[in-house]
Amino acid sequence: MHIVRFAALMAAAVGTLVVFGSPGAVADEMRGNAVEGKRLFLADGCYQCHGTTGAGGGMAGPHLAPDPLPLEAVKAKLRTASGRMPVYTAAVISDAQIADIVAYLQSLPRAKAAKDIPLLNH
Amino acid sequence: MSERKEPEGLTGAGMGRRGFLKTATLAGSGAVAQGVVAASQPAEQPAQRRHSVQMASREAEQGTPPPVTATQASCGSDFMVDVMRHVGIEYVAAIPGNTFKGLHESVINYGMTSAPALELVSCMHEEMSVAIAHGYAKVAGKPMACMMHSTVGLQHGAMALYNAYADRVPVFAIVGAILDAKDRHGYVDWQHSVFDGPALVRDFTKWDDTPLSLSHFAESAVRAYKFSLTPPWGPTVLAVDQELQEGAVAKGTALLIPQLPQIAPPAGEAGAVREVARVLVAAERPLIVADRTARTPESLRLMIELAEALQAAVVDVSGRMNFPWRHPLNQTQRRAELAARADVILGLELTDYWGVLGGRLVPGVKRISISSIDLYMKSNYQDFERFTPVDLAIAADAEATLPALVEAVRQQTPSRRRAFFKARGARLAQDHLDSLEQSRNAAAIGWDSQPITTARLCAEIYEQIRNEDWALCNGTVFQNYWPQQLWTATRHYQYIGDAGAYGLGYLPGASVGAALAHRKHGRLAVAIGGDGDLMFSPGALWSAAHHKIPLLYVVHNNRAYHQEIMFVQSMAVKRQRGIDRAHIGNAITEPNVDFAKLAASIGLYSEGPVSDPGELGTALRRAVAVVKQGQPALVDVICQGR
Repeated sequence: MHIVRFAALMAAAVGTLVVFGSPGAVADEMRGNAVEGKRLFLADGCYQCHGTTGAGGGMAGPHLAPDPLPLEAVKAKLRTASGRMPVYTAAVISDAQIADIVAYLQSLPRAKAAKDIPLLNH
Repeated sequence: MSERKEPEGLTGAGMGRRGFLKTATLAGSGAVAQGVVAASQPAEQPAQRRHSVQMASREAEQGTPPPVTATQASCGSDFMVDVMRHVGIEYVAAIPGNTFKGLHESVINYGMTSAPALELVSCMHEEMSVAIAHGYAKVAGKPMACMMHSTVGLQHGAMALYNAYADRVPVFAIVGAILDAKDRHGYVDWQHSVFDGPALVRDFTKWDDTPLSLSHFAESAVRAYKFSLTPPWGPTVLAVDQELQEGAVAKGTALLIPQLPQIAPPAGEAGAVREVARVLVAAERPLIVADRTARTPESLRLMIELAEALQAAVVDVSGRMNFPWRHPLNQTQRRAELAARADVILGLELTDYWGVLGGRLVPGVKRISISSIDLYMKSNYQDFERFTPVDLAIAADAEATLPALVEAVRQQTPSRRRAFFKARGARLAQDHLDSLEQSRNAAAIGWDSQPITTARLCAEIYEQIRNEDWALCNGTVFQNYWPQQLWTATRHYQYIGDAGAYGLGYLPGASVGAALAHRKHGRLAVAIGGDGDLMFSPGALWSAAHHKIPLLYVVHNNRAYHQEIMFVQSMAVKRQRGIDRAHIGNAITEPNVDFAKLAASIGLYSEGPVSDPGELGTALRRAVAVVKQGQPALVDVICQGR
């Protein structure tokens, strides 16, 4: 079961890389609304595991931003999640809403470098 | 009151219990190596008036105390105090209950006023009493006594006893009892009476007894104390009858307190230990995994010696402080990867070996277990986790087995093997540095965000305490183990693990108990706890304020029972119902809890709520200054979920 899901996810991710290799695909992804995406990210509980800024953390959930996965990979993950991550079907989150969430994740600034934060260099 | 006769053989031939108990006192526990206690003063035993069965008023029905018709120079519960002192108990945690009022009175008017003095830790709830004893024992290395009311008191304390049991921690619990029906003065006494009180918690305590005489109490108390400290450690319960506590003790009565032996924990069989050493020395990729292994500075030192003798990777499951967090061989961050690649895995006091393996049994891997849990296990509660096939299971205390194992590894390591070990150690040291860098980079993500990240929370706390002799009193699973990733810890008391059974309400009490044990060493005790956990048992912080127990309590306030949100979400999406209502029943909002006000109202210095990460360091610094002056302080921090 896990193998099947993993294969599906990988296929989607590979497909995504191909799709997003073109400028047209990037344009599609940019259609998402970052403001609405933030609202969904908070309302749908994504932040509970991945953090308000998508930073994630340990066992609670992997980091999603900065540098989020492409739209199709995020969609594939949501539709075929396993383990503690719930499966989010289209009935719960539409493709357009996922695009909004990805747009929000893309809008988040990059983290400071750890070496520039004194508290992280003891 | 009773005139009944004691059965012969329990309290002396033909002597009634009350006659037998008349006025004995103990001339200091130092004089009782053989434990003979002689009564010093006579006590008159005038006729006692029977309690009327004609209930004329509500007051009478609620249990008007029987008339006091005699003064007592000594009593059964004074002797119980002496027994507790004899075994080494220093503190008694309790919320009052009339079924142990005799013992309560003895603790405060005899135990606290004569040497070696006991201290009664005044509590708000039996669950907190037990949790305080739980946290104390993990630092002090010995039990605290914990007095609980019959029936309702023990029912309140039961969950905390389960935590202690699952965490392999000793608690010396005493529960009041009114065994004789004619001693129950009113209907409340009947509701607070039970024939076999400890049965309630028998599934998750190591041992219990209901002594019928003071000699019986002494034997059972020493037996309970000894057994609780024989690995695997665990809580015990004694139910003490009201009459046994309150009865006078006769002059000249000799009461024996058995000697408490020095306890030698069971070490692994010598041949098996040599075989473990042989397998470890021959291994290419050995992995040492420790959970509740190190109880003492010596065992932490031995863990380091074992790892360094082999130059082997160590994963600390974090049940205790088993290995220095910045040691080059500490590979905890790479747990899953190393468990999948290892050719030999040595599990030391693992509760969940299956979990360490990630649920995969890799063919050809030698799995070894050294665990005292194999020596004592109960059947009903399933805290023993999934059965994991191993090649060699040594039923023994891992800490007690370490000296022989370290020596055997040294003896069996040929000189030609040392270069290989050295190269392995160098690779692991680099891996450790890589893990540290990864952790720091991960901690930087969202550094300035609001709510404050748990990484920033932990980094800010460490900044304020790193130059102190600090001791963390909480498990760190809900803070994503950031302290283990970012802090430097080298001493065995700097981390004591978590609740044991994931029973909420643990940390407020346990951190107060741990801080109490740290107090005489001048350590700076710190706890990071969730808002949901604190709402279970905030009264424990009153105990800290009342007893001036220095503790920095930082609230990781994510305003929800966060873990459960995800579970409910999962259910909702599975049923295609949407997830926008998953917060209902999980969120702790509307209203938000103001923990700073709550803490201030029960006597703590407090800061917060702090939501701006730029202000967190300053708030923590002010709170640490208060703690260093000997007082508890709380800082409420609005945080990310984890």
